Amino acid sequence: MSKTHVTAIINGDQTEFLTEDGTSLLNALRDDVGLTGVKEGCGTGDCGACSVIMNGALNASCLVFAPEADGATIVTVEGLADGDHLHPLQQCFLEGAALQCGICTPGFLVAAKVLLDKNPNPTETEIRYALAGNLCRCTGYDKIIRAVQEAASRMQEA
Amino acid sequence: MSALGQSLPRPDARDKVTGDARYPGDRFPPDVLFAFIVFTDQPHARITRLDTAAAEAAEGVVAVVTAADVPVNEYGLTMFDQPVLIGPTSSGRSAVPHDVSRWEADHLAVVIAETEEQARSAAALIESDWEALPLVADIDAALADGAPLVHPEHPAQSNAYHHLVITKGDVATAFERADVVIEGTYELPYQEHAYLQPEAGVAYVDEEGRITVEVAGQWTHEDQEQIAHALDLDLDAVRVIYPPIGGAFGGREDMSLQIVLALAVRKLNERGIDRPVRSQWSREESIVGHHKRHRGRVHTRWAATKDGVLLGVEATSHLDAGSYNYTSNKVLGNLHLTVAGPYEVPNAQLDSYAVYTNAVPGGAFRGFGGPQGCFVSETQMNRLAAALHLDPVEVRRRNVLGEGSIGITSTPLPAGVSLPEVIEECAIEADWEAPPRPPAAIGAFASLPPTTEASRRGRGFACAYKNIGFSFGFPERSVADIVLHGSDDADARPTSAELYLAGADVGQGAHLAFLQMAAEATGLDVEAITPGFSDTATSGDSGSASASRLSWMTGNAILGAAEEAEKAWRDGDRPARGHFRYTPPPTEMLDPDGRTPTTPNFAYGYVAEAVDLSVDVETGHIVVHDVVCAIDVGRIINPQQVTGQIEGAVIQAHGYCLSENLVVIDGRVMNPRFSGYLIPGIGDIPEQVRSVMLEIPDPRGPFGVRGMAEMPLMPYAPAIVGALYDATGVWFDSFPLTPPRVRAVLRAAGVGAS
Repeated sequence: MSKTHVTAIINGDQTEFLTEDGTSLLNALRDDVGLTGVKEGCGTGDCGACSVIMNGALNASCLVFAPEADGATIVTVEGLADGDHLHPLQQCFLEGAALQCGICTPGFLVAAKVLLDKNPNPTETEIRYALAGNLCRCTGYDKIIRAVQEAASRMQEA
Repeated sequence: MSALGQSLPRPDARDKVTGDARYPGDRFPPDVLFAFIVFTDQPHARITRLDTAAAEAAEGVVAVVTAADVPVNEYGLTMFDQPVLIGPTSSGRSAVPHDVSRWEADHLAVVIAETEEQARSAAALIESDWEALPLVADIDAALADGAPLVHPEHPAQSNAYHHLVITKGDVATAFERADVVIEGTYELPYQEHAYLQPEAGVAYVDEEGRITVEVAGQWTHEDQEQIAHALDLDLDAVRVIYPPIGGAFGGREDMSLQIVLALAVRKLNERGIDRPVRSQWSREESIVGHHKRHRGRVHTRWAATKDGVLLGVEATSHLDAGSYNYTSNKVLGNLHLTVAGPYEVPNAQLDSYAVYTNAVPGGAFRGFGGPQGCFVSETQMNRLAAALHLDPVEVRRRNVLGEGSIGITSTPLPAGVSLPEVIEECAIEADWEAPPRPPAAIGAFASLPPTTEASRRGRGFACAYKNIGFSFGFPERSVADIVLHGSDDADARPTSAELYLAGADVGQGAHLAFLQMAAEATGLDVEAITPGFSDTATSGDSGSASASRLSWMTGNAILGAAEEAEKAWRDGDRPARGHFRYTPPPTEMLDPDGRTPTTPNFAYGYVAEAVDLSVDVETGHIVVHDVVCAIDVGRIINPQQVTGQIEGAVIQAHGYCLSENLVVIDGRVMNPRFSGYLIPGIGDIPEQVRSVMLEIPDPRGPFGVRGMAEMPLMPYAPAIVGALYDATGVWFDSFPLTPPRVRAVLRAAGVGAS
């Protein structure tokens, strides 16, 4: 099968990889780029664990063909921290015990980042709407909501 | 300052928020091959021919493993009733015929190839011929006269292969004396674990020549034993390591990839190929391919006085064990002990059966038979209260087990029975005595304006008890090792320590609890303790992450190891080593005649829940406004982690009760995706969940700790059903309470528009 050459800005770095046309962006990011922070929870767009930010919008990377990423700007969970300095969302998830097994965490973090980028001071209802595409089986969600609220508040103060 | 009672962050949290945590599915060692596990896709059939030649010749394929490659073709956590691989020929010995597929997800072959795509493509080239066997679809089919046997080799010679009895007092006289009899038949649904990480693992031969499997499980040493048994190897020749685990909830208690990955490495090794092998299931393969919370049916009658005091309980319970036992015999035991409720029951006749069918196996899932038993007992108790116009909390006060109470097996409960206090705290926090709340405006859909027109509001209450640790004489133990380091001075104190424990952190935070307890036991800071967790090569057996037992059992092992290490330290050893194997008080099997008093458990946990909901009687939609979960945790190790367990369990119970509807027809799971099997999302959950943690010490728990991770799941569904009755005057005897079911039952009872 012929391979497609893809060039994308991934987590701030110009990245090139070869992929087959039928490969999902999820598999390309994990297998070819080595970004295993992007998780596969279902492969059918139902759970949000594979969420990435593509050109500023939240995407389930399992539903995107890898060649569609050519020319795109992509942010994954690996791109949230600034070196050793965690993003406030990461710090608040850590401090607030907003994770248990942690498989859903990368997807929640990028979904919450998309929300806060657009709406720095969301209501609880707006947070629930923004995270409605992400499933968590461990936490019961409340600590996730609190962590996003806390991060928003810290980012407002900063 | 004490290391206990503090909300310290998890040691793995940083890696989990940065994406650095490497779960089993994230491991791609150099030169790794992919192993694709081929399911038989035959709920009940005998294989007559298997030809893997075309698959073996396909591009990229390195080897194909079949039944002929399995030295001992049998496995199972509590009995060997399942072949590792199904095939017409098997060179190995097996307690169960290896040529019959009894489950659509029985394993037929393992195709090892350079890539996943190549392995999957080659699997399609495997040829097999099957002779159909009569299908045993469900409990009714299994119990019918002349039903074919799913396991003709089983000595029971009946699909109802495991039977537990409790005969206590004189139940016939109790019913003659009764002022009121409450009778019900309850249909209990499956539940799928739906951990967010599907099964995955990697296997290789380690530097010491051991077949090593890195996988997500719940009990490293049991995995090691099962692999060694099937491969006919010494235990020392097998190593099991758990990387970060993406949830479990009981669903990883039995084998998934463990044995087949080890077989794949062994086969390659025989051919002189020293390459690691990885595998990963899709979500669909995960849901089809691992066991579930049992579906079942319970018929029961309760006799009581006009004051609401229980005189007797009769119950006949059937659990659909599916095609293999897994832990069904043990799950049945828990149902058996909980089906008459956490109450003083002077007279009882309880008969419980595990039933083989060709459906997906039932097995461990948070609560382990307790949620099923609790749904029955608590709905019965709420119906008793309603029949006598008694308050649901008051009727429980009149019956609840307390200190010194004689339990259902005619022996006193272990000391520290705190359910009366838990019930009172729950009622207080829920403001139970307050007058009924006015109807809330609710909308079934976001696009419709909320309205009070069809909204009915109600409150419900339920409570539960559940064992902590292995029951019924199963050998219970936990090993811990502590190594203290510091200055050689005779009067110096240790400055750091190593802690070795196998106990699995499946996401619940067990490793943090171990560290906090070890810090408390050694007087060191958590940061001064270097852990070695979840590797059979470095740790003794801690038992499983199940039965709400890990903190309780490992805490006692840590206390023992710290004491041993301290002795060695005082003797001048540097480093000072402490090794300890903790065993709790012994437990007993139930007597076959059901009359002999027995002690099935050494500890229990206690919980109560109150819920406040509204139901739209036109659409059947339910909105839960408030949940109060009161639980005695004995001693709080980490408040944040404990509330995390409560909130998570309540939301799993919310799904079990309201939305999770696994459809299994003729031995096939019909909806193995998250688009059709609905676990709660962030928009589906109760408006608030309030945790009330009591700290009444368990006299034998480490630092007073009680197990707690399962209990909050148990009372939720019956509390919801109690609240629905309060709101509508209608009882529900089956769930999940999906809008169509709620609407249909209400309509049949004349509630809502005609």
